[in-house]
Amino acid sequence: MEGEMLKGHLDLIVLAALSPGPAHGYAVIEEIRRRSANRFNLAEGTVYPALHRLEESGLLSSRWLVADNGRRRRVYALTRRGMRSLAQQRAVWDEFAIAIGGLLGASPRASAT
Amino acid sequence: VIPEFAEALAGRLGFDRSLSRAVRQEVEDHLWEAAAAELTDDPLEAQRRAIAKFGDPRAIAREIAAVALARSARRLGVAAMLVIAIVFIAMKARLTWYAMAHWPPLDRMAWLGAWVASIDRYAFWSAVCASVVGWLYVSRQRAPANGCVVDGRRVRRFLILCWGATSALIASVLSDGVLTSLRLAFAADLADWSIPIVSMVIEIGCAIALVVCVRGIARRATYGAQAG
Repeated sequence: MEGEMLKGHLDLIVLAALSPGPAHGYAVIEEIRRRSANRFNLAEGTVYPALHRLEESGLLSSRWLVADNGRRRRVYALTRRGMRSLAQQRAVWDEFAIAIGGLLGASPRASAT
Repeated sequence: VIPEFAEALAGRLGFDRSLSRAVRQEVEDHLWEAAAAELTDDPLEAQRRAIAKFGDPRAIAREIAAVALARSARRLGVAAMLVIAIVFIAMKARLTWYAMAHWPPLDRMAWLGAWVASIDRYAFWSAVCASVVGWLYVSRQRAPANGCVVDGRRVRRFLILCWGATSALIASVLSDGVLTSLRLAFAADLADWSIPIVSMVIEIGCAIALVVCVRGIARRATYGAQAG
């Protein structure tokens, strides 16, 4: 999928990837890959500014944990505001997808009549 | 390879040590995990692949710096209003104390007192207006823009408003200093100087604190712009 197109929806993608539960940056990227069936070809680092921005906006919270390998790890989670925002954005996206699907799905002949 | 890459990225955020340290740890953790997931027996090659997938460190640092700068700017907006409120309270406390202690009004050099007082009034309310407008302006940034970095021009305009508020506050505090000096110069009882002096120290301290804060954010904005 086109990078610019993806970037325009990055916040929604990140929020959706965190909807199953708290996760660190790498796990967020893995979740995006898994749920998109590897269709999203994002530079992995681009997810971090989005995580920071969403945290700054109050849609995510973060805390530092120590992973099994002993490294410090920052884990992000959706806040209540983030959950509400995700639900709203999902509803908007659903309507948009239906509208675009209707437009693109219509055959030229059907459109002409 | 990974520590060097993380260090290079974090180095671009050196204007904020805690942010720089946190980003370094976060990026290193990510890259080690990504390298471990690579299907190769060569650890160096795995690290190189993980770094290649991570993306351009300059672009990432620039976006993270913009988010951090917007956060600092919002905090400064609130801090500026708090500082001005403290100056107002100190000013009012001094005037109340003059009334309670029955200090005589400025008879001698009254023309100078009236002139400085009007400068003080206009300067103070200018500081209030500039700080409120600045805070409103910068707080509108809170809504996340999908995938867009925070607008650096907005922060620069906010800083202009902050410098305006700071300059006006300094003018107001200097005017207060002149008025207090006039009062003290003609005061009969030297024992009653404590409240005016303490309130002036508070006002001067607040003005200096605001200058330091605005200067700090201006420096961050400069370094943040260079992060990319």
